[in-house]
Amino acid sequence: MPGVLAEGSGFDTIKHWVNVLCQPHWFMIIAVVLLIVFLVGYRKVTKPVIAGPLAAFATLAFLASCFDPNFILIVKKADNVPIVMMIVSMTFFIWLSFRQAAINDERMENGQPLLEAGADDKVLVWPDLVYIELIALVLFTAFLIVWAILLRAPLEQPADPNVAPNPAKAPWYFLGLQEMLVYFDPWLAGVVFPGLIVVGLIAIPYMDKNPRGNGYYTFKERPFAISTFMFGFVILWSVLIVFGTFLRGPNWNFFGPYEFWDHNQPAALLNREPRDLFWIEMLNRPIPGNYLLRELPGILLLGGYFILGPAVLYVLFFRKLCRQVGMLRYGMMAFLLLTMLLMPIKMVLRWSLNLHYVVAITEWFLNV
Amino acid sequence: MATKEVITKVWIEEGCIVCDACETAAPEVFEVLEETCVIRPDALSAEFTKPRSEGIVDAAEECPTDVIKFETVTVEASDADAPVEPVVSAEESPAEQPVAKPAPVVSKTTEPSAPKAATAKASPVVSSGAGDPDPAIAALLRAAKSRGGSAGILANEAAVPGEAGALRGKAAADLPPDARQAKVQEAARKARKDPDAARRSLISSAALGIGWSAFGLGTGVAVGPAFARFMMPNVLEEPDPRVRVGPLRRYAEMEPGAVIEDFKPQGVWMIRTRNRIAALSIICTHLGCIPNWLPNDRKFKCPCHGSGYRQSGINFEGPTPRPLERFRLVVEDGVVIVDKSKRYQFELGQWDQPGSYLEA
Repeated sequence: MPGVLAEGSGFDTIKHWVNVLCQPHWFMIIAVVLLIVFLVGYRKVTKPVIAGPLAAFATLAFLASCFDPNFILIVKKADNVPIVMMIVSMTFFIWLSFRQAAINDERMENGQPLLEAGADDKVLVWPDLVYIELIALVLFTAFLIVWAILLRAPLEQPADPNVAPNPAKAPWYFLGLQEMLVYFDPWLAGVVFPGLIVVGLIAIPYMDKNPRGNGYYTFKERPFAISTFMFGFVILWSVLIVFGTFLRGPNWNFFGPYEFWDHNQPAALLNREPRDLFWIEMLNRPIPGNYLLRELPGILLLGGYFILGPAVLYVLFFRKLCRQVGMLRYGMMAFLLLTMLLMPIKMVLRWSLNLHYVVAITEWFLNV
Repeated sequence: MATKEVITKVWIEEGCIVCDACETAAPEVFEVLEETCVIRPDALSAEFTKPRSEGIVDAAEECPTDVIKFETVTVEASDADAPVEPVVSAEESPAEQPVAKPAPVVSKTTEPSAPKAATAKASPVVSSGAGDPDPAIAALLRAAKSRGGSAGILANEAAVPGEAGALRGKAAADLPPDARQAKVQEAARKARKDPDAARRSLISSAALGIGWSAFGLGTGVAVGPAFARFMMPNVLEEPDPRVRVGPLRRYAEMEPGAVIEDFKPQGVWMIRTRNRIAALSIICTHLGCIPNWLPNDRKFKCPCHGSGYRQSGINFEGPTPRPLERFRLVVEDGVVIVDKSKRYQFELGQWDQPGSYLEA
């Protein structure tokens, strides 16, 4: 192995553990735990004294990893370089906004004016905005030219309808959707869920009438709204893009960042259906022929999830919110929230139980 | 003797284009509403308008349509600050009240300048006992009244804003012209919220919607078929669904569990199960990618979302909901022909239909 850092066996052990932790279930668990820690301790974590060394450590780990042949092969692919930039810029801007929120929240508690207090709410287009735009235009053009010269466009051979590249990857911004398609039927993951994401984002201003946090950074005043958004954006979108870019290899199998992308790596993922689990393993009876009866456990599970879910959430968390916004808004919010949570639930079920579909009425092409 | 123009009355003529220029120049005098600009009620008092002469002149110059009009009165500027400090009570600054204060030159009035006491009696608006107003102001007041204006002047400095504000409460007919306009607009705004008006606008927009829908429908019916025909290619080139895959002999010799990939470019995998020969479609039933045959794992594996099929075409891993489809097989003169126009689906129980397989 080339490079000084790759020689010691200590590094091999670390790499091995990183590979293990990059298995999807561990990766997801770690990402969720990190997000929770970040949201709970945002006032401490965002302090430059803590965030700075963390950023330095991450940069150092990334640079050290670049000595690994398998890692550098994936990272320096022309398609993947922007995703590295995306991770860096996303982390930076999340840190920046939460840092400002932490400062503002502290000021609010002490009765001091907010960071944004002195700001003008009106800025002139000319010259204020146009100057910034001009500078951004020039800098970005220069950056794009340098990028285009340094990194070759990933052009491939002419398309052949009988051959799909292995792995076949969507453009990076669709990798979240592609990852979703691994766990759901095409009509759900390709049509219903993207539609609900768009409709749900449009519906937010109609469901959420709380004016707090308009025009200034805060977390303390909007913990639920911001946490939900961060979960959807970071875990269910950005982490899935990272999955698709760096961890999904040939045959759409998962590979650790330091693993060789072996086309012949065996991966047995024998699917199990809830009907098998219920009728055969639990009741020890043959599967009924009628498909509605056959899928009854799954239908009941899913129906209960969407019918009882809002009520359970109401009793546990949302009594006050429901009083504030009304039943209709709460119902919409709970439906969208439960639909969003369906995604991680299904992922965990697939990884842990190899569960294929909760409801699988293939006769109607209705699989959830 | 130096003189100075002060404004006693300002109004707005028809033709305002709601450009906000006047409000920017003199916000205390002008207020730009949705459809026009009005004079703020406070500014209808000459007492209020006079010290803001400069701003009003600026606004009138800024106005792109020149609808801001005003009347001026020339006063002597010897007492330089008199117009700016309009109400100076005699008690507060007796020293500054010159005995021989020059009478103001008022353009329109013929009334000679009067002594202070006379002025106080002459103008009924001025409250008695609050001190005598400046003679210049008294003259202004007379001038305004002689033109039929109703500007009021109070000697009591502190009471001016309140008195001016009291104009708001008056009936529309009692108010001077600009304030009346504001009232009219207020009434118009209320009328817009009136249910009758809302119903009328609903009916008219519904009629408009129906009209346009009918127009769109009519156009669609008339033009639609022609457009559909235009978009249809004149020649539809479809490959022959019948693929000749070689002599039956070759398939009879196949081992059970074998896969022939030679005809993948034509969209077919030839497979042999225990005692049957079948033709599998190479299209993944999940989302239409092309899976690969992995001989080591003995499975078809899709590179797009990881769907996996056994050698027989039955799905067993990944997201795909159903097995690969099979094509009809025909033997003609000892040659096997795959007819891709006829498909057999496992989940519909069609794999046992004759034609979906050949006995080995």
